[in-house]
Order: sequence, then C-alpha cells, then structure tokens
Amino acid sequence: MSQAQTLPASPLKQWWLKWRFHLNILLILIPLGFMPKYFADAKLFRGDAGLGVNVISDIQVGPYSLDLAEMRDEAPRADGPAGHFKSFNASLCKACINDVKAVYLRIGKPRSLRAAGTIFFGAPYRMGTNLPIPPRTQPDAQIWITLEGWDGSMHQASVPLAKASPATVAWLEKQGGKK
Amino acid sequence: MAKSPKKSKSKLWFLVHSWLALPIWFFVLIVCFTGMLAVVSQEIVWLANPDVRASKPDGDAERLSYQQVLDALHKAEPDMAVESLRQPDGSHFALTADVTFPDGTSPTLYVNPYTGAIQGKSPDFNFEGFTRALHGWWLVPFTNGFSWGWYLVSILGLPMLASLVTGLVVYKKFWKGFFKPVRTGHGSRIFWGDLHRLAGVWSIWFIAVISITGTWFLIQAILFDNNISISSRPIVPVIAREDVPQTADGSQAPRIDVDEAARIAGLAIPGLEISSVSLPATAYSHVTLGGRGWYPLMFQSAAVNPYTRTVDSQFLISDRSALEFVTESMRPLHTGDFGGLPIKLIWFFFGLVLTLMVFSGLLIWTKRTAQATAAALKRSERAPRVASRETTVEIRP
Repeated sequence: MSQAQTLPASPLKQWWLKWRFHLNILLILIPLGFMPKYFADAKLFRGDAGLGVNVISDIQVGPYSLDLAEMRDEAPRADGPAGHFKSFNASLCKACINDVKAVYLRIGKPRSLRAAGTIFFGAPYRMGTNLPIPPRTQPDAQIWITLEGWDGSMHQASVPLAKASPATVAWLEKQGGKK
Repeated sequence: MAKSPKKSKSKLWFLVHSWLALPIWFFVLIVCFTGMLAVVSQEIVWLANPDVRASKPDGDAERLSYQQVLDALHKAEPDMAVESLRQPDGSHFALTADVTFPDGTSPTLYVNPYTGAIQGKSPDFNFEGFTRALHGWWLVPFTNGFSWGWYLVSILGLPMLASLVTGLVVYKKFWKGFFKPVRTGHGSRIFWGDLHRLAGVWSIWFIAVISITGTWFLIQAILFDNNISISSRPIVPVIAREDVPQTADGSQAPRIDVDEAARIAGLAIPGLEISSVSLPATAYSHVTLGGRGWYPLMFQSAAVNPYTRTVDSQFLISDRSALEFVTESMRPLHTGDFGGLPIKLIWFFFGLVLTLMVFSGLLIWTKRTAQATAAALKRSERAPRVASRETTVEIRP
C-alpha cells in the first residue's frame, strides 16, 4: 500500500538513527551529574558549610571585630548591565551585635558614611552582601569594612582583596589586558 | 491507490504526533512525573513528618499572633535571629520560621501556631526543594541568569502544545470520545491506544494549561536573560538615614512590634490577609507583610517603616498591569497552588494522567511505529534500489 519512497541515507543520518534514543540517557545523566553540586549548595545556603571560603577571622574594626569570607572561591558573577558582583559573608563578634547598626563593604576607602559601600543583610551571625567589582579595579586594591554604631560612631578597617578573594584578583588580572 | 490530499495530510499530522516526544520520551516522562510529585510535595512532607503539622493542643485553642509567636521563639532560643515567619497555605500546616543560630546555621523551623513551640527543624534533605529543582531546572545551577536546565525543561512546553494540537487533529471527532470505553481483550495495542485517547480528551484543558504556562517559563527566562522587565513592582528604597534614630547610649533604636506593623498595614490596605512576615534585614529595612488578596493567584505586600510607622511601599492586586495579571497567574496555574488542597489534588491527578499518556504513547509507538518501521525496512530489503527509512511517511511530489 504505502510505498517507502526514501532518500539515500547519509552517514550522519545513520548515526542519528542508531544513537537518537541514547539522548535519553544523556538527558538523565545531567541531573545525576549536578546532584552533588545541588546538595553542596543547599548545605552552603543553610550555613552548614561555614561562613564561606578564604575566611579572615577577627578583623579588628575599632572596638569591634568580625569574620569575613567570600561565599564561593570563584570569579565575580555577571549580573547584566549592573556589572559584576562578588558575594561576601560576615559574622559579627557576639559582644558587638547590639551596638552595631550596620556593616558596609567597599573596594577602596570610603570618603564618608554615606558612601560606605554595600550594606550587609541578614542575621549578624551570618550576614551577606553583593559587592560590585568594577573591571578596572587594581589587583592590589583593599576592601574596606565600615561599621556604623547605633550612637552614630563609625569605625573602619581594610583587608587586601587578594587575601579576601584570590579568585577575584586572578579575574581582574585577566580583565586588565582587555579593558 | 491515490489518496486524497486531506487523508495524506492527516497521516503526516499523525507522524508528527507520533514523533513529538521521541527520542526524548524518557526525559519527558521524568519531567511529567517530578512535576506531578512537586504539586503535592508539601502534602507528602506533611504526611511523612509530624513536625510540619499544626496540631491543636486542645479543642478551643486560638492561633497566636505573629508577635506572640516571635516572643515564644525568643523565649525558647534567646540568641537565635528570626528572619521571617510564614503560614503555608492551609491551616493544617505549622508555621515556618527562617532563623539563624549563633553558629551561623540557618535552618527553617516548624512552629506550632497555637503554642509557639518549636516542633522541629527542616531536615537536611528538603524534599519539596529537591522535587521542584529537579522538575524546574533539572538541577542545573543558576550561575549567570537562568540555568540552562530551566531552558531545557521549559522548552518542552512547545512540543507538548504541538502534541495537543496534532493529537486533536488526528483524533477524528475527539469530542465524541469522552465516554468511549477502553477495549480490553483485543491486544495491548488497542488497549493502550484507547486509554491514550480517553486520557487525552479529558486532559485537553490540563495539557493546554501546563504547556502554555510551561512556555511562559521559557519566555520569562528569555526576557530576564535579556534584561527586559515587564514588572510594575515598586523597588522599595531603603529607609532614609535621618528616619533611623540614633541613640545616645549606643543601644538599638526601638522598632514597632510585628502586630503593630500588621495593624498599620491592615489599616492602609483593607482586606490584606497576612500569611508572611519578613523582619528587617538591616537597620534601614522595612517590616514586609504579605498575603493573598481577593484574586488567589497573586500576592499583595506592604512595607512598613518600623520607626516612623508609615507604609512606605505597597504592591496590591490593583497595582498590576493587565499584562501582569496574565503573566503572574502563570506560575500558580502551572503548579496548582491557588485553591488549597482540592486544586492540588486535581493537578496531581491530571499530572498522573499526563505521565501515563507519555508512557502509553511510547508503548503505542513501539508497537505500531516500530512495527511499521520494521515492515518498511523489510520492503526496502526486497527492493534493494530503495534505501532504508525509519517510517512509512508518504512524500507527495
């Protein structure tokens, strides 16, 4: 009844006919492959994996102290036209939680409290912020931590970016040639 | 021998329909199956874990206010920081509280809405989160914009819509098929074929809803990744520096309590039913109260300034554009999360039917299309001039 009018089979087509159902296996392997990453991320977001990586402990900022860590040991992430951002976490010393009104992070020294940088969000035991990283940042830059007290006082300290996030510095050095 | 163009066209449609889910049928099957599970994942957790249930201590116990719950939490765990409280949809669920402990761990706690007692901590394996991540983005992480797994899953909305359309085209007079009995005793091909058609006609609306909303998820990702926004949601500015009091002794400035914030929000927005409370994330942040409005597919929210007692920002159903009414309805329509348990059970049932349709479709395919293919191959062996071909499609000159 129906005659099979056919085109000559190319090797590519034969390959496709032979292997097409194996696409299923490839597709099933994807979530299996990402599963360890998924559970590692879930642990990270729950705080079970600690503050982060490259933790700098007990940074003295005036009378207070805090721990700073980058969320992940990786280059800054692009966020559309807003530029590149790097996630940092911080934890305030237990004794200073009630005195500190806000914690800020900035690349380079802030000129005033109003330009102190990005504010840390969340519980003082594990706060987070997204620090914008301009591609022209010098690899030897310092990141500045500003603490604002409820009494209006301001305290500052800095750590080398290279220490807080080596991956960001590596990324900046790569950008340096291009921008 | 010569066929009418109409018949041949429908045969072509039939082939398109036969081949749509293939060769990725197993992927499609798992996506349908995990979607079905994700719809009722919250209920499954409720059945499996007593901590998640809102058990009443006695017959006439009253639900606590949000501030009373907060007070109970602070009393039980004085050092714990509470970030938000939420009442899941359905009074049989315990409240959930997102908290952070001094050691930096931040689990979700299940809190009894009548006593404020902490009933338990979210387990390390989050079943709801996992099924949703598997169904929604195939576990591919989000690193730069939407995950490519999201694209992989949401693009299935298109072949699914095409299956529906081609299925209806090839099923002659499908509107007469709603009460056709499934024939047994005529072999499994007939049985699965009948079941596939019966399930299909009853699922027309559901397949349409799922495939259209699924395609919206694809569009949503494309829009987001190209920085196109259609949202009219206000960006809540931080509280102005001068509105946050300084204290002479360096202690925290007093903020209004949550019940007072809820009262202020309720005065400004009549009919606001609060099901979630987000506490200020910084000294310059608002207390945000949210809940469903008269249109159950959308949420409303109000940001109350905890120092000046003003509603600084609100986002109501009436603030949405006509386009947003459509686009914001897509997700609840997809997940069946807008009418409590009855709707979820309907979605679950049709999710199961859809999974079976993918499965029965495959069985039919292997029994018919594969046989036809084998037959075609045999014919081509007899006629060596004609090369092998996988199907018996007729190509009209």
